[in-house]
Amino acid sequence: MAQRERDALTGRLTTGHEWDGIKELSTPIPTWWITTFLISIMVALIYLWLMPSFATTKSLEPGLLGWSSRGELREEQAIAAAAQAPWRQRLMAVPLEEVSKDEELRRFVQAGGRALFNENCAPCHGVGGGGQQGQFPALLDDDWLWGGKPADIIQTVRHGIRNTDEESRQSAMPVFGDSLSKEQIANVADYVLTLADKSKADSRAALPGAALFKDNCAGCHGENGEGGRDFGAPRLNDAIWLYGGSRDAIIHQITSPRMGSMPSFASRLNEESLRMLALYVHGLGGGE
Amino acid sequence: MKGVPATASGRYRRIKTGLACLLLGWFFLVPFLRWDRGPDLPGQAILFDLPGRRLFLFGWEFWPQDLPIAVGLLVGAASLLFYATALAGRVWCGFACPQTVWTDLFFAVDRFCEHRRIPPVLVKIAIALLTGFGFACWFTDAPTLAGRLLGGSAAPGSYGAVLIIGGLTWLLGVYAKQRVCLHMCPWPRFQAALLDRDSQVVTYQAWRGESRGRKRIPLREDLGGEPGGTRGDCIDCTRCVAVCPTLIDIRDGLQMGCIGCGLCVDACDTVMDKIGRPKGLIRFDSETNANAKSWTKTLPRPFAAKPMLFLSVAVLALGAALFAMLTLSPLRADLDPQRNPLFVRLSDGGIRNDFLLHIQARQPGLSTLRLRLAEGEAGLLRLASSGDHIGAETVDVTLDQRELRERLLITRPAGADAKGRSPLHLLVQDARDGRLLGTVETQFWGPES
Ligand code: SF4
Ligand code: SF4
Repeated sequence: MAQRERDALTGRLTTGHEWDGIKELSTPIPTWWITTFLISIMVALIYLWLMPSFATTKSLEPGLLGWSSRGELREEQAIAAAAQAPWRQRLMAVPLEEVSKDEELRRFVQAGGRALFNENCAPCHGVGGGGQQGQFPALLDDDWLWGGKPADIIQTVRHGIRNTDEESRQSAMPVFGDSLSKEQIANVADYVLTLADKSKADSRAALPGAALFKDNCAGCHGENGEGGRDFGAPRLNDAIWLYGGSRDAIIHQITSPRMGSMPSFASRLNEESLRMLALYVHGLGGGE
Repeated sequence: MKGVPATASGRYRRIKTGLACLLLGWFFLVPFLRWDRGPDLPGQAILFDLPGRRLFLFGWEFWPQDLPIAVGLLVGAASLLFYATALAGRVWCGFACPQTVWTDLFFAVDRFCEHRRIPPVLVKIAIALLTGFGFACWFTDAPTLAGRLLGGSAAPGSYGAVLIIGGLTWLLGVYAKQRVCLHMCPWPRFQAALLDRDSQVVTYQAWRGESRGRKRIPLREDLGGEPGGTRGDCIDCTRCVAVCPTLIDIRDGLQMGCIGCGLCVDACDTVMDKIGRPKGLIRFDSETNANAKSWTKTLPRPFAAKPMLFLSVAVLALGAALFAMLTLSPLRADLDPQRNPLFVRLSDGGIRNDFLLHIQARQPGLSTLRLRLAEGEAGLLRLASSGDHIGAETVDVTLDQRELRERLLITRPAGADAKGRSPLHLLVQDARDGRLLGTVETQFWGPES
């Protein structure tokens, strides 16, 4: 049986263990450490009791305080919405064209519009609205397929382009590769290439493609290639070519056309958000 | 009283008292100077506006980017300190250092309260809190601060400043006292490197003082005493030790603990006066001269190489700072290329770059500014918020609260060379008289081919 005794030299207790005459001094864990340890255990128990800590078969046992991160998010969102409410009302109270005359309102619209744009539009049109050549049109320039007035933009965003929404913008360019010969298509392309050049305004009528253009293209794209917004038919007499402005690219587009589509945002964005978004896009630099 | 040095009176005591009044007055009263800057700006002559990130100094307003000026001023001030030290020894420590001034003030409180039944600790707490208050005054509107503090409407920082600076004043001035100079402050270590044998320091002229002894022991013959006399001029009254704020004995020779306050000089001169011996047994002098056993003291040598070196650095740094202050630009303009996309192609073939324009005016009077491109650079300007779609050679913008943050669109028309990257200079002018206020340099990006 181990014998606890006091060590004569140091005056401290021994553990009572002895190995070949060597005894071990008792060095207990300090009291402050034990106390802290016990307090930590208590804190942990209290925490378990107050906060959601145990999973049941269906969900979490909510804990005494009933806290949840989702609830906290909802509260924060409610606070933000309440703070925005008077601004949103003010936004809806004025006609669309007048909004930018109210400097404070304009700032609210710009800030909100940027957030909406980054969330909904940036994936295709780019964070800065620069679009992507060959895929998505730029929103910063002064070229609009379906119109660049705020009301036009709202319409386009709300219902989208060429999708299943009944009111979405609809149009289709015929596949001329089926109806025109390769030579005819090349002639049309050559004609189209002259449209932007004012110096060829008179001479181009003599080109072999002129009549073909009049019969097949002018209906949508206009006599002089000025475009047709009712059909989302792009201008052909400017410097902007979404699907490329080279002769090959134009031939390709006539032969088997590419047409972009855009989803409908009616279910995601309410009226105020549509307004903010449209005015933000309108203010990017090309709005009409 | 224990720990409180005895009073000395004399020349250096008078200088110290005068200087302390001047410095304390400066510290406590300068924040109350007013300077009219118009309705929207604070009317305090010197104000460190931390929330606004600016410093008002009479007619000047400094912003964080003006930091090089502060560097110039600090280098200049440090060099002046080096100059003074190389010239005249530890004058900073002995006369001007806040630690010395406040410790001296608290000693004065102790002596004042001693026979008057006022508990010195109350006075000291009041002084410490007042010091915290005086410090806070530099950072907020001083005349209203007391009212705001008592009414509970002051910024948390003001309360913090009063308590923290007040606490530190107590800690350093009432509790630590000479221990700061002996153990905490790095400056004495620097000084050791600046001093040499010709610098002015407090010296005990051992050659005439020793051997010290009672007054009734006869004076040495070479000092004018009787033959066979053994005593030097020091009568070992220990007045010099009694008045020393750092509690040292200067008669042991020059030492780190001596802050050069000159009080022992005053105390010893008083004693020499009384016993009818020439003053200057303890005096400001060079070590070389003290060893030369001379009755006349040397004066500082302002044109020696070392002090002149520091003085020239100080003049250079302060001159540069002053030049920068006098030529401070009246506004700050930044033009951030948006780069997303790098450029926009317009339907007529023009190329447009979008920038974020940020202007802050330093001059209160500026309101309308005119923007234009430098001579020879083609381009039309327009603000994105304006209805104008084409742009113009010049654009007038109006500042709101001395600030403007707008998207500025710059278009190179079709036909102008816009290939690749080219330099672009935006000139900012005062719209009233066309005076050029600043030029912003940036890049214009166009298609590679
Ligand atoms: S040693 Fe330091 S704290 Fe003391 S007087 Fe000199 S500079 Fe001031
Ligand atoms: S020795 Fe003399 S000069 Fe030095 S700190 Fe003491 S009183 Fe002042």
